[in-house]
Amino acid sequence: MIVETGHFALVLAFVLALIQSVVPVWGAVTDDRRLMQTAAPVANVLFVLVTLSFAALTWAYLASDFSVVNVWENSHSAKPLIFKISGVWGNHEGSMLLWVLILVMFGSLVALFSGNVPAQLRAAVLGVQGWITAAFLLFVLATSNPFERIVNAPIEGNDLNPLLQDIGLAIHPPLLYLGYVGFSITFSFAVAALILGRIDAAWARWVRPWALLAWVFLTLGISMGSYWAYYELGWGGWWFWDPVENASFMPWLAGTALLHSAIVMEKREALKVWTVLLAIFTFSLSLLGTFLVRSGVLTSVHAFAVDPERGLFILVILCIFIGGSFTLYAWRAPLLKQGGLFAPISREGALVLNNLFLTAATVSVLVGTLYPLALEAVTGEKISVGAPFFNLTFGPLMIPLLLAVPFGPLLAWKRGDLLAATQRLYAAFGLALVAALAVFWLWGMKQVLAPIGVGLAVWIMAGSIAELVTRTRIGEVGLSRGLSRLVGLPRSAFGTTLGHFGIGVTLLGIVMSSAFQTELVRTVRPGDTFDVADYQLSFSGLAPRQGPNFTEQVGHFTVRQGGTEVGVLDPSKRLYQARGMPTTEAAILTFGFSQLYVSLGETRADGAADIRAYYKPMITLIWLGTLVMSIGGIISITDRRLRVGAPKPARAKIAGLSPAE
Amino acid sequence: MTLWILFALMTGLAALSILVPLRRGGDPLTAASANRAADEAVYMAQLDEIDRDLQRGLVDAAQADAARTEIARRLLAAHRQNKGETRTVGTRAAKFVQLLASLLLPAAALGLYLWLGSPHQPDQPLEARLQSDPQGQPVDVLVARVERHLAANPQDGQGWEVLAPVYMSLGRPQDAAQAYANAIRLNGASEPRESSYGEALVVAAEGLVTAEARAAFDRAVKLDPAAPKPRFFLALALGQEGKREEAIAAWRSLLEGADPRAIWVPAAEQELAQLEGRLPASLQPPRGPAAADVEAAAALSEGDRNDMIRSMVDGLKTRLETEGGSAEDWLRLIRAQAVMGDKDAARASAAGAREALQDDAAALDALNRAEADNGLGS
Amino acid sequence: MTRKQRRLTLIGAAAVVLASAAGLILYALNDQIVFFQTPTDVVAKQIPSGQRIRLGGLVEEGSIERSEDAKVSFRVTDTANTVPVTYVGILPDLFREGQGVVTEGIVGPDGIFRADSVLAKHDENYVPKEVADALKAQGVWKGDDTTAQ
Repeated sequence: MIVETGHFALVLAFVLALIQSVVPVWGAVTDDRRLMQTAAPVANVLFVLVTLSFAALTWAYLASDFSVVNVWENSHSAKPLIFKISGVWGNHEGSMLLWVLILVMFGSLVALFSGNVPAQLRAAVLGVQGWITAAFLLFVLATSNPFERIVNAPIEGNDLNPLLQDIGLAIHPPLLYLGYVGFSITFSFAVAALILGRIDAAWARWVRPWALLAWVFLTLGISMGSYWAYYELGWGGWWFWDPVENASFMPWLAGTALLHSAIVMEKREALKVWTVLLAIFTFSLSLLGTFLVRSGVLTSVHAFAVDPERGLFILVILCIFIGGSFTLYAWRAPLLKQGGLFAPISREGALVLNNLFLTAATVSVLVGTLYPLALEAVTGEKISVGAPFFNLTFGPLMIPLLLAVPFGPLLAWKRGDLLAATQRLYAAFGLALVAALAVFWLWGMKQVLAPIGVGLAVWIMAGSIAELVTRTRIGEVGLSRGLSRLVGLPRSAFGTTLGHFGIGVTLLGIVMSSAFQTELVRTVRPGDTFDVADYQLSFSGLAPRQGPNFTEQVGHFTVRQGGTEVGVLDPSKRLYQARGMPTTEAAILTFGFSQLYVSLGETRADGAADIRAYYKPMITLIWLGTLVMSIGGIISITDRRLRVGAPKPARAKIAGLSPAE
Repeated sequence: MTLWILFALMTGLAALSILVPLRRGGDPLTAASANRAADEAVYMAQLDEIDRDLQRGLVDAAQADAARTEIARRLLAAHRQNKGETRTVGTRAAKFVQLLASLLLPAAALGLYLWLGSPHQPDQPLEARLQSDPQGQPVDVLVARVERHLAANPQDGQGWEVLAPVYMSLGRPQDAAQAYANAIRLNGASEPRESSYGEALVVAAEGLVTAEARAAFDRAVKLDPAAPKPRFFLALALGQEGKREEAIAAWRSLLEGADPRAIWVPAAEQELAQLEGRLPASLQPPRGPAAADVEAAAALSEGDRNDMIRSMVDGLKTRLETEGGSAEDWLRLIRAQAVMGDKDAARASAAGAREALQDDAAALDALNRAEADNGLGS
Repeated sequence: MTRKQRRLTLIGAAAVVLASAAGLILYALNDQIVFFQTPTDVVAKQIPSGQRIRLGGLVEEGSIERSEDAKVSFRVTDTANTVPVTYVGILPDLFREGQGVVTEGIVGPDGIFRADSVLAKHDENYVPKEVADALKAQGVWKGDDTTAQ
């Protein structure tokens, strides 16, 4: 009964979404307020229905109801509770249901938290959201129905792919989808505005919190996925330029550009045409990512099923939405009026530069991701585009952008003073130079690029703080007044600083861990002691261990530094019984920001084992940096200026230049 | 019934989410005036921010003035743009949507659900299935119940005894052998247990009487020298080992005292006939399935049986390709492949046969006929 | 600056950035992509030693030899031809004899493929797409050949 209730809720949601996609838009166009009024309640009920449906599927997983095909294919009665839950979205059907759940959740959030947006725009936005919902619900029901039943239920399931039985999987896809799908709101805002023909500075103000929210989730989702790959795949790599990674990285790049251009639009009503285009472009990339991952066009752990019917279906959705929105754009955008003017050297100019480089970088990733597919389709030749391609294209495009980051917030609107900004950055530049020289002095010519990279990272970090210092004018007004000015700054100013600072932190982690890592591949026998960087590891042997649904061979290493024991490492090789599939579980010890990483390879009868050991200096900074960026984003969202309601008392709207991230 | 009430409640909720707002009078503002109010709120807030910036000295007076002018211009533009005329609320549209919500929504949802869903299928949570009345439960549920029971009480010999033949009939000879071994360990050795254990091993080894199975049959014969089953398999083992004379003697002595209606008798007779060379080679199932295999095949599911047949055909093919064989053998292979629907393989085999039998005109003739019969003409 | 000049500056900057991006992409596409080859391709095309390729096929049964310090050698086959491969490092969990594999590296002057990365299938149902296609192509080719006899 529970399962069928979930199924019916999903069907009902589809029919309701069809109505949602017609009625409010119709009301918005004909100015019929009664029709517009339906938008918000229907969005909320849609959310309730899909939640019911998702809960029913989750129940089926928890109760191991193998009469549901999806549960039988992807679960096992002996699976630990947490993986029974995360297994719901650890497969194609369930993950598409999660996708739709998040989509309608965002619709409901718009219905609940955008009282400041005029009713007409809001109705149109929810209507467009209804189109997307209806399309994806149709996809789920027609090709990926998680509620299909088996008449004679088997007694045991096939279990979840062991690679996916990890806490990382529990968190990574929901976060990533929150980001991907979050950009559907900015898309809906753009399309709604094009339909209604009203795009102005106020629009940008209403859109920005949604873009920020999606961006924060996407940042966290990508970061989480990268950390998951790092410790679960056992190769010590954290980014592979794998097409699936690129699929999530492209909307991130475009979304970052969107955040920045929306600032210009809000402040100066310039770049209107461009910002709307970016909003459409960003969600198109999200859809493209969904297509690449879900269609099985790419083969990887993410392509749960290779089913051409599904691929074709998503491709059709992709073409309708992308093609339709760009057609609408081409038709309506020329009607938009020119916005404010600005000099090339100005805040606007800097943000345009940011957009240029981010867009170019997005395009380079897009080409690198799609070119192999296109080439194979045309000539049948198979190629792979890997890290060297992206290092050569993405890398050079990022360097000027990163160099320019500290300048941007220091330039004034309309016409900036580059010289004055440069003067304020002397200290940051000095620090960066010192850091670069220190690295050079410590390691010499061994790593030519390392000093440059470290210098760049320090430049961004120090530069973003310089901006805050400039605003408080600590130099002029003294420490105590400066601090009180700091407290009084708008939250978005801290958001900008943290966002930019986080980039520097991540960059520092990337440079340090890749330039100065120690890697060791060798065979060890019980009793062996060996060095990894400054640490002495002793191997005391392998022992078998029994897990809930797997057996494992665990290697035991004692880690010493200068004679004192500082920890133990227990990497293992697991065998998951239901699928007879082995996995490698790396063991990691964290010292400060650095990590010692050991993974187990082939083990032999005499107790010897092949191992791979790394010392990765400052590697955790890569993920800590993304955390700092996300915190910056969250602080920006809480800036009350973004929550300006309908006629509100004009209290405490504190001065500020611009919020970024 | 509860199910349909739940469906009705959900449908009602969905319909109300449209019907209620349609009846509400709501905000008396026209879209244009609402738009204007919202725009004004934003621009007033922006003006306010400029004042703050000025107070903090983040912009100078001239910049602030310029910015104010710009925002004022936006305010005016918002006024101009949102001067749209007041529309009367259309009742026709609302009526139409009311119909949509109260008729189309339930009908479409129900129709679509009845097409996709399985309303009569109850939930089947695993625990409940394992706890429920064993009467009328499918066999795999019963097996899982016994398995769970044995996982908790591994010393229950009776349980293993019950489970073992079920495994056998489910086509899980490996598990059956393990279960028989447990039953022997816990309940003591007996002729039926030992011979069934041995039989399970033979089926698991695809008809080959392994040393382990042989030992089991030996023990069984010791326990009951008259039992036919272990003697059947021991005779089979002798044949497989190539001890022709001994095997013939064993089959004869087995058949002597046998009830001619016993199920194993025809198989035994065939084995004997084959060993004595009374059958033409082409009719002999060379290295064919042992009687036990055939029995097992009968108990297998359709898919498993097909797999078994397929593996036999593959075995024949390999033998013909490596060691060669008679024309009859080749024809048997081609027919089998054609029957299994694998025409390409059949054609390939025909080509192989043509090469192998190129000196035998009669065989080539037969080959051509077989190709025509099976629709393999190239 | 006039309105027109400002606009020109913007367009100029955009053109420069996009042109350099396009240049980088084109250059990298010429230089940094890696072609997927089967053992038959390697034998037939005489790939110059030193060129980076991806070699895909099945790990030949009985060909894996492990020695000290995670050195391993094996042969990759597409049933028609085989190429010997050496690799130092930890092999993926699902690297097994008779299973699909994709390796990346260079062909040495001695004809031995020196792999610096080895990718195996991700789960038991998965054969690398390139390998599956290549083997399918092989199978079809062989099938046609027999029928023609």
